[in-house]
Amino acid sequence: MTRATTGGGASRPSTSLKLSDVAFRLIGLALIDAVAIWLLMQMMADGVWILVTLLLIITIGINVVFLRPELYPLRWMSPGLALMLLMVVYPLVFTVYTAFTNYSDGHLLTKQQAIERMTTGLQNMYVPEGGTTYSWVAFQAEDGTYALWLTDEEGNHYFAKPGEPIQPATAGEGIFGPPDENGVPTSIEGYTRLNRIQAATNRDLPNIQFGEPPDAVQIRTPSEAAILQPRYVYDEELDAIIDQKEGKIYYANDEVGFFVSEDGETLNPGYIVTVGWRNFERLFNSPAIRGPVLRVFLWTVVFAAASVITTFALGLFIALLYNDPTIRWRKVIRSFLIIPYAIPAFISILVWRGMMNPQFGVLNRTLFDLFGYSPPWFSDPMWARLGVILVNLWLGFPYMMLVCSGALQAIPSDIYEAAEIDGASMWQRFRHITLPLLLVSVGPLLISSFAFNFNNFNIIYLFNRGNPPMSGTPTPVGHTDILVTYVYRLAFASGGGKDYGYASAITIIIFLIVASITFFQFRYTRMWEEVSENV
Amino acid sequence: MKRRTLLLTIVMLLLAAMALAACGGSEETPPATEEPAAEQPAEPTPTEEAAQEEPTAEPEPTATEEAAAEGEGEMGPQLVIWADENRAPVMQELAEQFKEQYGVELIVQQVGFGDIREQFKVAGPAGEGPDIIIGAHDWLGELVVNGLVAPVDLGDKQSQFLDVALQAFTYDGELYGMPYLTENLAFFYNPDLVPEAPKTWSEVREIAAQLEADGKVKQGYVLQPGDAYHFYPIMTAFGGYVFGRDENGSYNPEDLGIDSEGSIAAAKWLDQMVKEGHLSPDVDWDTMHAMFENGEAAMFLTGPWALNRIRESGVNYAIAPVPNETSEGKPFLGVHGFMVSAFSKDPLLAQAFLTEFVVTDEVMQKLFDADPRPSAYLPVRDATDDPDIAAFGVAGQNADPMPAIPEMASVWEAWGNAITLVFQQQEDPEVAFKNAAEQIRAAISGQ
Repeated sequence: MTRATTGGGASRPSTSLKLSDVAFRLIGLALIDAVAIWLLMQMMADGVWILVTLLLIITIGINVVFLRPELYPLRWMSPGLALMLLMVVYPLVFTVYTAFTNYSDGHLLTKQQAIERMTTGLQNMYVPEGGTTYSWVAFQAEDGTYALWLTDEEGNHYFAKPGEPIQPATAGEGIFGPPDENGVPTSIEGYTRLNRIQAATNRDLPNIQFGEPPDAVQIRTPSEAAILQPRYVYDEELDAIIDQKEGKIYYANDEVGFFVSEDGETLNPGYIVTVGWRNFERLFNSPAIRGPVLRVFLWTVVFAAASVITTFALGLFIALLYNDPTIRWRKVIRSFLIIPYAIPAFISILVWRGMMNPQFGVLNRTLFDLFGYSPPWFSDPMWARLGVILVNLWLGFPYMMLVCSGALQAIPSDIYEAAEIDGASMWQRFRHITLPLLLVSVGPLLISSFAFNFNNFNIIYLFNRGNPPMSGTPTPVGHTDILVTYVYRLAFASGGGKDYGYASAITIIIFLIVASITFFQFRYTRMWEEVSENV
Repeated sequence: MKRRTLLLTIVMLLLAAMALAACGGSEETPPATEEPAAEQPAEPTPTEEAAQEEPTAEPEPTATEEAAAEGEGEMGPQLVIWADENRAPVMQELAEQFKEQYGVELIVQQVGFGDIREQFKVAGPAGEGPDIIIGAHDWLGELVVNGLVAPVDLGDKQSQFLDVALQAFTYDGELYGMPYLTENLAFFYNPDLVPEAPKTWSEVREIAAQLEADGKVKQGYVLQPGDAYHFYPIMTAFGGYVFGRDENGSYNPEDLGIDSEGSIAAAKWLDQMVKEGHLSPDVDWDTMHAMFENGEAAMFLTGPWALNRIRESGVNYAIAPVPNETSEGKPFLGVHGFMVSAFSKDPLLAQAFLTEFVVTDEVMQKLFDADPRPSAYLPVRDATDDPDIAAFGVAGQNADPMPAIPEMASVWEAWGNAITLVFQQQEDPEVAFKNAAEQIRAAISGQ
């Protein structure tokens, strides 16, 4: 394989190999490029420029890598690199970008989309003041053209064909058949009468002008036709939307992402604009950050640390227990112990909720029978915190057990034999051999477990949504809320809808916190490596 | 050689996969699945493959799209409708009938009730959304500010609908939906224990005290903590309110009533109930119902959704309007109905389908039978022979439509917390409700 790229003194058979090789490569590349160009065109039409740039870089990169022999090693890495760019880098860039926009409820569309949404379609048509509205019945001629029978509010009837003046008409006269109870002819010579649904099956019907412009009538709703005008019109020069009904002008305000009139009224929907540091300013000026955020932060650290310590302790204990080959059925038992890991967490958390129900829960009934006390898991702050940690212990220990079981196998048994000869006790062997050697391999996992629990939204949200509530806080917050669930409350659960921009800004701040904590922990764990060198 | 071809294939597949994923990413959250027959996706955000066909306004038909895309143009018009699992079967039935009568394909896609709104927000602007959704009126605030729904004109059929249901679907003076069912809380009591429905909440307290003293029940009246929805009828009975209403009946976000005199009076009643041991903070929704069903509790508030389980439990029950106190006790009214997408390519057909096909005695009756809750369509509502449903209708006669304004999202949490804090006796009722009102005002006024 490698010979093919080095060229030089290649033998005859390998040259032919090279030829078909190149052909395959070119066909493959052409296919990839075709797909990429098609996607790029679609994305450009949608105006998602970040993604366009990224995909362009990836496509060009892949072409270069596959066409230049000296980049041969990169060919093997290119799928991974491309995936990383799309799956890791792109979401990151997008989150950072979103943090600087007003992307939220009311601002989900681009400006172009918002204008189009407001200035087009049937919903934008209105009946100018003084205009007559008619109820309509559609008739279709044999050649497929349509005509309308119109009845105004006074009960006068008219017959309207596209491009011809609207004529007063009476059912039962001339080509018009006998009237029904509304005075509409049941039949017209040369035409078939349509009911409203049949008529509406033609998508173009609302666009047809019945009568002679400018007095032509258009259909607006299933029950109403009138001389219509578009209500909102976009004026490119003014960059404004003009409301023809009220005679008002709404200028585009790219600071707030709305079309705003001079008296401060805005049009729905708004559009997405970049807002600079406004989301961050809002966070730091919010009463939420001055209020309970320190308590929430402390509890977050306690929760994450307690989760790691308890799961690690239990997992290690069980791993040690079943590491002993003399125990029977240990493989079966170990398999059963992995079950909590295998069940989807959102199911087991809800089951735990049920078991901890103070009145009917199995756990609480048992505790009550045994100790005469039923812990108020959902209403007392301390019990609620304990409850969350307990459930998380159940969910998390199998992972630690698996990790520790593996790591224990890796510790050479001769060290233990030597220790035994030196007269070390069980505890001493554990404390001075097992634990330090284990931590070398498990340490980084403990840190990532800490980072994971720091942002463990699921358990808090599903167990009790951060409740019970704290009293006297400036924004709603609960005793078991960790930073992420608190963010969720701030950005999604309160204040006029979902604010993705604000949420992204807070997410970045949380990321900085977690990153710095993790950084210091890794610095700390390097000490363990030194310990291992000394052993 | 072989290895290299394999590599190329893999790269291509990966790139294709990436491209698909990337396509989904462009809208940040991928839209709902396109396949007509698709079941509701297991996760709230649907699979990446679903995003495949995404963002162009006029998607080119491909094999995955089946009939859906081909229908554009040549195959005749079609309507896509999103309904939850309760309504999808009956809509499917109607679809067949509709197709037979008019040759118009009605594609019913089942989407979980809780997911419809979120997925619609993404799929609508992408041009992939439904023409019609079946949802709740209190989504309107969110849907209207995002420009997702179009006004509907019920024409001369408007008079056949319950007034308050139409009012619920009116936002900024425009009607945005065709209501079809209403739901509200009513007062349930056990006639074996409480011979006559109490008229006031003070009476409720007295009866509860008596029953508990006699050892007949564990709790005379049950209510779960933190549940503002179930507390609202009590609050209104004491003259409290959430948002004040202007002359058109629209809610005014400037006028918050959580700390009004009446609301605090209701909080004090609650506080007294807890202090005297008639209410416990350990009761949740299930417990509340279970207690009533096995006779451990004699009175509580619940809605038509609990009717089946209460009937099955065999407990003796009767349904009455919400008790009053200084004012009339009014529950929230929830209205479900059909809304037309502002991004629909056939808005006239979508509306005609609603006003000409769905609004008939026969179809409205079918919808009622599929999910028996008081109909918003008067001919069916008046013909209801189920006394329980009728009783819910009576209890909901003066109900307040649940506020649909976006500001309502700021209310639930703080308000519920205040109720919980009173239940747990952590705060004085007046302090709790005043603080909740402060939290809500802060959240509404730009956070």
